[in-house]
Amino acid sequence: MKSFLRWMLALAIILAAAPAFADLRVATSLTDLASVAESVGGRHVTVMSLCKGYEDPHFVPAKPSLMKAIQNADVFVSVGLELDGGWLPLVLPGSRNPKIQPGTPGFVDASEGIDVLEKPTGTVSRAEGDVHPLGNPHYYLDPKNLEIVAAHLAAVFSALDPANAADYSANARAFGDRMEGALAKWQAELAPYKGASVVTFHRNFIYFANRFGLKLFGNVEPKPGIPPTPRHIAELAQAMRQAGVRVVLYQPYYDADASRDVAGKAGGVAVEIPTEVGGTPDAKDVLSKFDSIVSSLVKAFSNK
Amino acid sequence: MKLRVLACICAALACTPAPSRAQTKSIYSNLANPAIGFNALFLDQAARDLNEPYGPQFQESEISLLSVVDPYWNLWANIVFAPDGVDPEEVYATTTRIPAIQLKIGKLRATFGKHGLLHTHAFPFIQAPVIMANTIGEEGFKAAGMEAAWLTPSPWYCELTGGIYQGAGADAEHPLDFGSSEHDNVPFLGHLKNEVDLTDNTTMELGASALSGKGTDGHTHAAYGADLTLRNVPLRRSNQRGWILQGEYIEKGSYPGGTYSREQHGWYASYQYRWSQICWTGLRAEEAFDSFTDVLTDPSTGDPVPGRIRRVSANVAWTPSEFSFVRLEYSVARADDGKGIAPLDRRLMVQLCYTIGYHPAHAY
Repeated sequence: MKSFLRWMLALAIILAAAPAFADLRVATSLTDLASVAESVGGRHVTVMSLCKGYEDPHFVPAKPSLMKAIQNADVFVSVGLELDGGWLPLVLPGSRNPKIQPGTPGFVDASEGIDVLEKPTGTVSRAEGDVHPLGNPHYYLDPKNLEIVAAHLAAVFSALDPANAADYSANARAFGDRMEGALAKWQAELAPYKGASVVTFHRNFIYFANRFGLKLFGNVEPKPGIPPTPRHIAELAQAMRQAGVRVVLYQPYYDADASRDVAGKAGGVAVEIPTEVGGTPDAKDVLSKFDSIVSSLVKAFSNK
Repeated sequence: MKLRVLACICAALACTPAPSRAQTKSIYSNLANPAIGFNALFLDQAARDLNEPYGPQFQESEISLLSVVDPYWNLWANIVFAPDGVDPEEVYATTTRIPAIQLKIGKLRATFGKHGLLHTHAFPFIQAPVIMANTIGEEGFKAAGMEAAWLTPSPWYCELTGGIYQGAGADAEHPLDFGSSEHDNVPFLGHLKNEVDLTDNTTMELGASALSGKGTDGHTHAAYGADLTLRNVPLRRSNQRGWILQGEYIEKGSYPGGTYSREQHGWYASYQYRWSQICWTGLRAEEAFDSFTDVLTDPSTGDPVPGRIRRVSANVAWTPSEFSFVRLEYSVARADDGKGIAPLDRRLMVQLCYTIGYHPAHAY
């Protein structure tokens, strides 16, 4: 009898310690969306991102294991604007999960409601490289856009899980409040450098630049998707010298050598920044990601 | 009175339900038209051992159409324009609403092996392995049919595919004889695909395939295959570095009198390495037994004769963007019928590929 009771007690402890079954299983294409989803969903969601933060979101390999990973997801959050269009059209149907296919309540285009910048006007042609025909998709580099995403996800989660709708709304509001508070701090830190110019490897910094009053001087890649040539590097560096631009920003998945080459020739500094959560070890969520970018920029500008 | 009418109108407007979020999203195209892509292949070949003039050739072009039919189906079409005619190579609908299962109905490329799934412009080497044209077809087994692919609940990616197809006799494009006109001739396929992530950067895929049907001779004809692929795509450099090691074995045979008799069989093993965003190199070795190839002919009659064919191919590709490439390939083959005919086949080839319009998602 005592042995039986001991086993029952042990079983009870094990079961009590077991993680609670989340109400919604959420998968996202990018880590920033996963971070926002975690903030909005709280204890009611388990979240995973298919693309890792140090991976180029344009070129995620459409591995069968990614299809398997979302086979039982309840919600899929796509970044939208065809940023994940190089791999998501294989992964989503391959998951054979009817709950998350486009057109279903479980499929979310996170770009809905975003004021999209750099929408091409006139003829769109690949003579300009691998252009994004629906506009610049890197909107998650503006903290205010993530507040829009949070509100959107709260609405989606509430529709799918009405029992916890109040929590989702409250969490989204709390996320917005935290983001607004942090935004004021970041704007204060970058205020002395308003109007400063930076060069980026890829044209993915426009939303951040607009929000914080920075200017984009040029890109290390001559056109989207086209690798830098020695001539372009030399011309860009010379233009940077003449204009007094000293900072080159690049992501962990881009060619650091080319960025350092440009910066070196221009007499400046190349700085690796995490444009996606997880891009660097200190970018653990969207708030710490922006902390990392802002502190890197402040250090780069102040060391000129 | 007027105030009352105005108040009623305002109340009616206030009670009007908000328009629901449109459920017309497509990940293929935000336009009303299908996603349309077009690809063209051009080939220059210098084959000193072939009785053909050197020089440029139009190899083929392909138009791809893809869109959502309705909430339940997508439709895909690949129509190929080649020097010898137009071929609706693939036209099929796929389901989107069945849990764990995807149905594919139409004119298909059967899910057999690895190389047989590729479109010509996606071949890793300019020439398909010799064993392909001698077993299931240089471009795979293509026929009208239906396939169901079940993503099993196993912890790793394990997909089981079953298919049934229209029977047809053997010809230059379809070496498998499924031409019996009997009612019970329904060629069928079984395919198992397993994929595991060995690390974040490296995957292993192991597959097995079987295809069977009744031939014009009344006997069962079949093809069997096994494939192994190791692939490395460094996540931090996914479009700049990586390699693919792939091998496949395929055999074709029949069951005269109920006992299996192997006919053609062979294998290939290839290694491709990505040096940079714009440069790939590849090396392939292959061997095919009791097989046919264009240089192995009876010198007195000109008729093709079967033999053992061994070939090595090496190539380098320049890919300035995702939408074009130029590939230089050299291959050396020795064919031997075992009776004194043993020609050498040396070829230098340059292939150019261009894609416009919708760019399909990159297959892994």
